[in-house]
Amino acid sequence: MISNWREWTKTILWGVVLAGGAAAVMRFAFGLGVTTGLDDATPWGLWIALKLGFVALSGGGFTLAALVYVFRLESYRPLVRRAILLALLGYGSFIVSLIFDLGLPWHIYMPILHWQHHSVMFEIAWCVVLYFSVLVLEFSPVVLEHPFFQNAVLQKALHLLHKTTPVWVIAGIVLSTLHQSSLGALFLMAPHRVHPLWYSAWIPVQFFISAISAGVMFLLLEVYLAERWFNNEARLDLMQKLAQIGKFTLGLYLIMRVGDLLWRGVLPSALDGSWQSVLFAAEILLGGVLPIVLLSLPAIRQHKETLITSAALVVGGVLSQRMALSMFTLWRPAEQPYTPALAEVLIAFAIPAAAALLYLFAMENLAVREGSTQAPRIHEALSHPQWGAYQDHSLWGVITQRSLLAVFVVALAVVLLPNQNNAMATLPKQPVQAGRGWEKLILDGNRASYQVNFAHAEHQERLDCQVCHHLNIPQDDASGCWQCHSDFSQPTTIFEHGLHQRTLQGNASCENCHAGAHNRHTAIDCQECHASTEQGERVSTFTLEAPGYVQAMHGVCLECHQRESQARGRADLAVCSTCHFIPQPAPEGQARLNQE
Amino acid sequence: MIGGVKQVGLLIDVTRCNGCNQCVEACTTENRLKKDDTGGAVIKGLSGQRFSAIALSPEGGFVRQMCRHCLQAACVSVCPVGAMYRSPEGVVLYDAQKCMGCRYCMMACPYGIPRYEWDAAAPLVRKCGLCTQRLQSGQLPACVEACPNQVMVFGEREALLEEAHNRLASQPDRYLPVVTGEHDAGGSAVLYISHVSLDFLSLNRPPGAQPLPELSHNWLGKVPGLALTTGSLMTGLFWVIGRRMQFEEARLRKNPQDSGRPE
Repeated sequence: MISNWREWTKTILWGVVLAGGAAAVMRFAFGLGVTTGLDDATPWGLWIALKLGFVALSGGGFTLAALVYVFRLESYRPLVRRAILLALLGYGSFIVSLIFDLGLPWHIYMPILHWQHHSVMFEIAWCVVLYFSVLVLEFSPVVLEHPFFQNAVLQKALHLLHKTTPVWVIAGIVLSTLHQSSLGALFLMAPHRVHPLWYSAWIPVQFFISAISAGVMFLLLEVYLAERWFNNEARLDLMQKLAQIGKFTLGLYLIMRVGDLLWRGVLPSALDGSWQSVLFAAEILLGGVLPIVLLSLPAIRQHKETLITSAALVVGGVLSQRMALSMFTLWRPAEQPYTPALAEVLIAFAIPAAAALLYLFAMENLAVREGSTQAPRIHEALSHPQWGAYQDHSLWGVITQRSLLAVFVVALAVVLLPNQNNAMATLPKQPVQAGRGWEKLILDGNRASYQVNFAHAEHQERLDCQVCHHLNIPQDDASGCWQCHSDFSQPTTIFEHGLHQRTLQGNASCENCHAGAHNRHTAIDCQECHASTEQGERVSTFTLEAPGYVQAMHGVCLECHQRESQARGRADLAVCSTCHFIPQPAPEGQARLNQE
Repeated sequence: MIGGVKQVGLLIDVTRCNGCNQCVEACTTENRLKKDDTGGAVIKGLSGQRFSAIALSPEGGFVRQMCRHCLQAACVSVCPVGAMYRSPEGVVLYDAQKCMGCRYCMMACPYGIPRYEWDAAAPLVRKCGLCTQRLQSGQLPACVEACPNQVMVFGEREALLEEAHNRLASQPDRYLPVVTGEHDAGGSAVLYISHVSLDFLSLNRPPGAQPLPELSHNWLGKVPGLALTTGSLMTGLFWVIGRRMQFEEARLRKNPQDSGRPE
């Protein structure tokens, strides 16, 4: 069934797509928190970097369209269709990854209804919608030329499309210029997050120029690889032409990038040996300077292999810039690092894999390549009486062939997906048990991450364990201080009346505990029902009173403070500001407290 | 004054806060947010279920953390659908009906205030709305009402600024000589006076006095011109080059021997 490396490649791509499909189900069923590494410290992550990458690599589409249709450089014509195909798939991938990334993807049309001229993202949304439509129009002649679409109406449409091509091409150039640059402008608003080595007021221009370079170099790679796929020889002259454009724009981009940092004096201080500065240096040297040097050597330009190596360096450099800017070097608190979750990575791989499969499908079935006669497989497959013989090549045929693989892959993906409850993750449990029976325990009484002294032995003496280590709240290790000391200054009865009422079928159950009049004096003792509780005899109805919060908290500390203050003769050890960080007591606040 | 309605504000006197978290509890109850496992309201820091929190300053001192309701809010400016908007009273509010969940507001806020319901399948951005529902019925925000120590004063921003400066002037030893929120990122409705530096509340580093929206407005202002320039340049080139090629063809038809262009 799998005969050669091409089939293997496709099979692997299918596997990646199916694994991503499983992750996609998870993503929409359980939300972003469980399936991604994103959190409040990192609202944008891998998928944003991915989108920036897709758009950068689509830069060849408008560049080639401009060269051929506006500048009438006919020598580039063999490349236009494939450049537009790459751009179409790139933008399609952008939209698909956007659907994954948006929290409420079914609101994706909102920018069209609610215009916000002050938002960069609003502009990008419109540009993407329009440019994707333009790309569809630009590519549709390739589809309509296929024999399958030979009918009068469609051919009329094809004719119309051919006639209006310049309009679409120019619209495409304008839209691309705007939003390639605006994608960079997205980050202008976050100077506090973007690393200084990547931040610049010129990000939009840098994005635009580097997209031309990366797009053209990616096209160069594609030309070489695709011709190998189809057992053909790529044209060296075309590859050299593309490399020249890529080199020139890359040089321009590098000058802007480094020049801007030098001009503002950021570069010397930012190159401090941190990993970010190493990444920056690698990006500039390996992805910028090195390919420019290589492509300036005639010996390098004469060989396809060295050409594509240089091109790969450029593509890598620009992708690295996009990913570093939007993901790796973005500022986040040190205690909240970002690691993409497995499902996130699976989807990030599945989208380009799906695009690659669509690409291969288009290349095999449509006249995209120069000189390729159409291989009308769909057409034949559908019209041939024995179409089953062709099912290996049809979409469904491939799926059925690989369905066993799909089952394994999906199962694997589901097993590997994280099954964590993020709501719980925000609540670190304090191992209070470690200090059972101690006189003073330092613990986080109200779960605010501020440790306080807790007089454990004293509480233990007077109360039952289960008063704090609840029996009635599942998985509760210990109550917060405030649960009993709930009023700021007044003592509180800590009997949970409401809970008993609910548990014992509401008001009808009053008589269970109250004989005659319904007030606290008629209530029975706890142990009459809770007879089995340890030390139950100590718990009586009216002793369960907790002092007010202030009194309780002061009780923990004050005694010792006052003692030490006198013993050492230091008055400052026992005043409010010792603990409350108040330089002087606040008069009004204090007055109000005193009244209470 | 914005649109005839007075800009509301909240003055937070950090020196008075003893970190009791009553404001957080009140906020959690008022906004019907999830209590934690033990039925309490206090979790460290902001989250999709906590619109306010008590942050511990590195220098010591409890600082109330909440939405600043910036006068020129970055979140409002970046929102592509207008889900973040400023009410006539100058409160930054959120409209879940429009939000598509791009989280640009979270990226843009220099204080890291908007939080996301990461655990939800249909998540929303959550943040303090200054209890607008209470303001409309003439009540104070829940946190202001709950505070036992009068840390916060709610009122008109202008008056609060005056009060803040009065306090700074009357007790210069007690406060750092700055009203945080008066000019930061263009100023905000929430003002702080404090004895400790509040720089730690900002992500990475405190924003300057420049309102953040200006950063992208400078670029967006150029967009229409850029579109027009690119469009007309490309159309012009298309036309000029086309004409020249027509002439060239005509010339070649006339003199078939003349192969190249005149040197």
